[in-house]
Amino acid sequence: MRYPLASIAATLLLAGIVLASAHPATATDRLVVPPSVLAVLTQRCMDCHSGDSAEGDVRLDAIVELELDPRLDLLNKAQEQLFLGQMPPKGEGQLTAVERSQLMDWVSHELRKHKASTLEQKLQKPEFGNYVDHEKLFSGEYKDLPGFTYDRRWLISEFIFNATFQRMLKSSTKAKRNGLVVDAVGGSRIPNLSLSNPFLLPNVSGVRYYANEDLTGGHLSSMLTNAQKTSEYITNDLVKRTKGTYLPAINTIMALEEGQRATLASRRMFLENFIATLCHEIYGSENESLLPAFTPVALNAEKPLSKGETYKKAPFHVAQNMLKALDGDRTVYDLLLDPEHAGTSDDDFRELCERTWFFFGDHERTIQGRMTILRDYMPELRNHVATNARKLKPPPYKPLHDAEMEMLRSSVRKHRRKGDFYADIIDTCMSMWEQEFEQERLSAAPPSDQLLADLVEQLSVQILERQPTAPDATEYLALARSYVTKLGNLKAIQKLIQTFILSSEFAYRQEFGAGEPDEHGRRMLSPRDASYAIAYALTDQGPDEELVRAAASGKLKSREDYRREVVRILKKRDIVYLIDPVLADTNYQDNTTDTAIRKLRFFREFFGYPAAISIFKDEKRFGGDRLGDATARLLNETDRLVEYILARDQNVFEELLTTDEFYVYHDGDNERMQAASDRLKRIHDYFKDLDWRNFTDEDLLEHRDFLKEVKMRMVDPDKLEARNRQGTTIQLFKMSMESITARLAKGQKEAAPFDLYRGYGYDFMVGYNVSKFYDIPMDNWDYQTVQPAPVAHRKGLLTHPAWLIAHAKNTETDPVQRGKWVREKLLAGTIPDVPITVDASIPEDHHRTLRDRLASATETAYCWKCHEGMNPLGYAFECYDDFGRFRSVEALEYPDTLITKRPDQWTLLTDTRDLYETLPVDPKGYLRGTGDESLDGEVSDAIELADRLGRSRRVRQSILRHAFRYFMGRNEILSDSKTLIDAEQAYVDSGGSFDAVIVSLLTSDSFMYRKPIED
Amino acid sequence: MANRRDPNRRDFVKASLLGASAMALAPSFHQVFAAPLAAGIPKRFVFIRKSSGIRPLEIALRDFSAKDRALDEKKLPLEVDLHKHELPSWLRGLDELKEHMTILQGLSAKMSENVHYSFSSVMGCFKSNRNTLSAIKRATIDFELAKLFPSPFGHVELSFAAGRMGIVSGYSAPAPQTRNYCYADPDTARSELFKSVLNPEAVNSDNDMLSFLQSKEGLKASGIKGHERRRQEAQIESIDAIRDRNKKLIEISGSLAKHLPELAPVHADGGPDASTPEKQAAMTDVLIAALKAGLTNVVTYTIDDLGTPITGLPGNETDRVGIHPLGHDEAFGGVPAWMTREQIRISHVNQIKTIVEKLKQVPEGNGTMFDNTMIMYFPENGETHHGIGLESPFLIMAGNNCALDIAGRYIRLPFLGTEGHKTLGNWYTTLLNAHGNPIEHYGDLDLEMARKKLHQTGPIEQFMGSFAS
Repeated sequence: MRYPLASIAATLLLAGIVLASAHPATATDRLVVPPSVLAVLTQRCMDCHSGDSAEGDVRLDAIVELELDPRLDLLNKAQEQLFLGQMPPKGEGQLTAVERSQLMDWVSHELRKHKASTLEQKLQKPEFGNYVDHEKLFSGEYKDLPGFTYDRRWLISEFIFNATFQRMLKSSTKAKRNGLVVDAVGGSRIPNLSLSNPFLLPNVSGVRYYANEDLTGGHLSSMLTNAQKTSEYITNDLVKRTKGTYLPAINTIMALEEGQRATLASRRMFLENFIATLCHEIYGSENESLLPAFTPVALNAEKPLSKGETYKKAPFHVAQNMLKALDGDRTVYDLLLDPEHAGTSDDDFRELCERTWFFFGDHERTIQGRMTILRDYMPELRNHVATNARKLKPPPYKPLHDAEMEMLRSSVRKHRRKGDFYADIIDTCMSMWEQEFEQERLSAAPPSDQLLADLVEQLSVQILERQPTAPDATEYLALARSYVTKLGNLKAIQKLIQTFILSSEFAYRQEFGAGEPDEHGRRMLSPRDASYAIAYALTDQGPDEELVRAAASGKLKSREDYRREVVRILKKRDIVYLIDPVLADTNYQDNTTDTAIRKLRFFREFFGYPAAISIFKDEKRFGGDRLGDATARLLNETDRLVEYILARDQNVFEELLTTDEFYVYHDGDNERMQAASDRLKRIHDYFKDLDWRNFTDEDLLEHRDFLKEVKMRMVDPDKLEARNRQGTTIQLFKMSMESITARLAKGQKEAAPFDLYRGYGYDFMVGYNVSKFYDIPMDNWDYQTVQPAPVAHRKGLLTHPAWLIAHAKNTETDPVQRGKWVREKLLAGTIPDVPITVDASIPEDHHRTLRDRLASATETAYCWKCHEGMNPLGYAFECYDDFGRFRSVEALEYPDTLITKRPDQWTLLTDTRDLYETLPVDPKGYLRGTGDESLDGEVSDAIELADRLGRSRRVRQSILRHAFRYFMGRNEILSDSKTLIDAEQAYVDSGGSFDAVIVSLLTSDSFMYRKPIED
Repeated sequence: MANRRDPNRRDFVKASLLGASAMALAPSFHQVFAAPLAAGIPKRFVFIRKSSGIRPLEIALRDFSAKDRALDEKKLPLEVDLHKHELPSWLRGLDELKEHMTILQGLSAKMSENVHYSFSSVMGCFKSNRNTLSAIKRATIDFELAKLFPSPFGHVELSFAAGRMGIVSGYSAPAPQTRNYCYADPDTARSELFKSVLNPEAVNSDNDMLSFLQSKEGLKASGIKGHERRRQEAQIESIDAIRDRNKKLIEISGSLAKHLPELAPVHADGGPDASTPEKQAAMTDVLIAALKAGLTNVVTYTIDDLGTPITGLPGNETDRVGIHPLGHDEAFGGVPAWMTREQIRISHVNQIKTIVEKLKQVPEGNGTMFDNTMIMYFPENGETHHGIGLESPFLIMAGNNCALDIAGRYIRLPFLGTEGHKTLGNWYTTLLNAHGNPIEHYGDLDLEMARKKLHQTGPIEQFMGSFAS
């Protein structure tokens, strides 16, 4: 949704900037600079922006001579600089209010003449949200302005896309929750259907989902393919699988075709399996004479190897898979299992198979492929069948019912010609039956209008979640009729499904006011739109049954109605949501929540920590392997921590910023973690005084009872001969004991419950290397079974490794990015875009810290005017490296500062990180911008910074502003002042409840009231 | 005794083919809207992906001087004139085309996925997390190039991966977290690409639907104001763009018909009985026809992966062989694995030769179509069957108007982790920069280069010719 011009004018006005009054447009392209404007330009701007050495290559003295396009570019730059208050720069003579207004009027007028202002679009973007004056928003001066949002449509998000297709196609994602497999809402996988999600949100930290995106040709193009695939999936798979309960009109329309298809399939299957038997039955001894003369295929002769050449025959399982791929395995197995052929020589057996295939009519090349396998692997095949006789047993001959059998016999008699292969007979019969059935379909009447109307109604409900309106019903019925005439039933149904999916209603949420406008020209959301607005504010799904009922029964018309529904949904715990489809894609299954998903997602997106998984990192520098698993767990445990704080719902913002308790390799169930640790302790206690390192199989057997009771992975005393890729039972026992001993032999009280040795499979929780992000050594980890628990050198999410990685580079930290995040997200500050004239790179120097090098590049006067808003905040995080590990020294990771090369290959207790020369890190920073003198000032490190941020009212308000944007899908303006003040009050009054904030926002005028769009 | 069949397998094949016939003229995602059709003669790119690696020694010249051999074996930078050398035996089919050839050694591909499969990553320079959708970080290089040279289909992907048939998931990516589709047998590729000639009804039915949608949106647009109205109008224009493209394809179906490739009956229904050389030749014919007809300027052709069944190769005419076992030196039909592997590569080279020769026969501008074409043949997974991305050899055949200064040479770049080393990302950046996309660097960075603080972004300057900065 873009602001209409009137709205941007209002925004500028409300933000304290006066726009030009409406100048009459002129037809000419010629630029006229009024004398008053020229005077201001000359006095205030030309010193720096004229001549060949103009600052930033911006020349205002030549503007009149510029062609239209470059002139408009320049004017757009000027408008933005004026609006953002960046020109003239600090330290230079500033414009008076009148001068600023004169310039702004003139620039705006010139741009409007050509409809060329880019500021309008920019102001709607999330990154420009903070340009609305913070003090004014919360001062109370504007709280009497009536809040509203313009009528709008809002493009669905990537999450709504996933949930919608899941709903529509009756699918869900399998996930793990509390040790159980559950069906979850969300996730991009639908079995047997591959969709492309064209509604991906920008990959940034902060609010990602805004209502200003338009449906473009790119979306439409992807949706065309999605619609085609979905329509085929529905008709060819889903309708059949659900036996007529899903879109029943399709089943009715397709009844004749489906019956015919089933009949044909059953006939074909019978004939392909038993044609020879049937022909013997029909023709007796005469059958053979009707078949073509057997001609064996020729095989390449095996050539002798040249001298010195070696040859390694492909193993049997390869040949076996190939035989299967060539559709020859069943014949071979069946014939080998047939007692009639027992004792047949290999040569005779091969001929028997070949004859079977030949008479059936298989292609010569296919037979050749099979025969080479029979030539090279006969002993292995015989052995395989002998060993697996029971598994390979062929199903018994089972005729179809009598009438069908009679039909088959008569067709075979009628169509078989001498010399036909069996496949020819089948093909001819099938072709005849298909023709007969086609005739039957042609003579059948087309689907009735009632049936097509039923289909339209069912599709509308299934896809658009509403009954068709009367005009819709008429139009879609006419379309359906036309499709049926042109395409036949099946294709017509598919096309109709596609048409519904491609309608803009599918891709856009509707949010329009209805009823009589109030004195401010506002109308409340229509009840149906309100039900969607509330549902989508909190989840990715449309309204649940109660919301639908409320909308339909007039119970969604007041603030209290909204409150009732919002509170109800916040309390609901009967739906499991997948938290992160990316983690699900990596097969990380413990990834769900049962609270309204968009509550947690706000903090995920606001803090941006999920990006940690997409930062490409080096396992060597990480210090161990399976970095992907460890990062997935790290994200999951960050989610768990946020959920833990949200569940308590007290001082939520402060807790998120300052908690000193974290989850580290913990699934959230303290009892289960304790039990797992106890089990390891029990094993350790039992064996620790025994000479287990020298155990033999016999020694192990002496402890059979204990091992049967306690159970160690792959250590079954009754199956000592068992082994896996890692070794034999006794070897696995010793590996496990090494691992357990490392975890408990140094006096540790508890043991982390990871797999007993590095291996395949996921019996335990994956990602135990998550401890490396906290620099916890695997062999000296006094595991906390009760979590969250205090972790040294950490305070709040900004010191959590997930946030630190997400705001770091591949191989080094990123103080600028981290500082920018704090400035914009927590202090409601603004940082301009990097000027295009800046080559933003940090110089390499093998003997200086990153901070030192960054300072030399950014602390010059020209750079510092922007960097002073970021660097002093970002420097405080230099006590963590780019993996989020706490440090007091920075490793100078250059080849010429290498001290010790560590192994590249990982084992359980090896650290692969090379050792380099180091320099002390300086994590001192400076906090400015809280508006609170007691908080602003120097900070010793990130811990102190977090502590002060957690105590700042400005930070609380900044988070609230972002929450507003998240739930409203737009930037705030001054008429939203009351909404924000109320939200803050709700937070304070409730002792810091985020639920209270949500309720306040979703019952505000800004959410409930709409104004018509203006031209 | 009956010859019992597995109905499920047959149903699967039939369902695939049903899908194929049902697929209308879907453009390759965003391509229709990428840019207006470029004026003048476009550049064309053919990416041919092979499986199981190319061992650097297999593609090295056999008659190097002792000094050059030592440099090559030690992975030190080297550049020699191909005209003065004999090509490895499997490349001899291209002897007459050396002036167009580049053998490029020394690129690394550690930022992509390797070992057995790279999926989308070898053309996107990211880790593909075993082909998961969310791991696709960006549009692959072929789609980036397709944006620069728009065409009715934008991009065409052909594939013999896994021995599938019909229209199936591909490896190219038009956008982040988006997977392309591909044509998996010559018959499907032909009938889909030339659908406006072979089945205009399917195209017309699409246009009926689009027309209905357009009129519905038009009705809505008449009742709204401001931005919503502009938004609605833009949507109507988008629908119109697809309808227009479909209409144009119908209109030019007469000229398309001239290029319609003929396929032998063995390729009907996906060609389950066609031999590998037959399948490859037929797919190559379709590929060439699509380029000649102007349906696309970019083709990605997965000529095999480890699951592609191989039949009818010289020496193994009656065997069915598997590429994966061959990669483990496990052999078939009494023929040593290395010989069969070489025959597979020769079969690929035959296709490259055919593409070059056929395009050379088509006049274009002052020369031929091949002058504006670049063919890249490369392994999906680096330097061996279980490559780890240390090296990723490329064989390039480029026409006279090639934007890069590389022709006629064997080039070995500095090895990974040394000064001046170049990655796949540098190579793709080179392609993009030379063809109008000024991107600073395409793809993820190499972590070893980063760890050693070695420069690794930007194009390979020495290849940039007149584009060099």
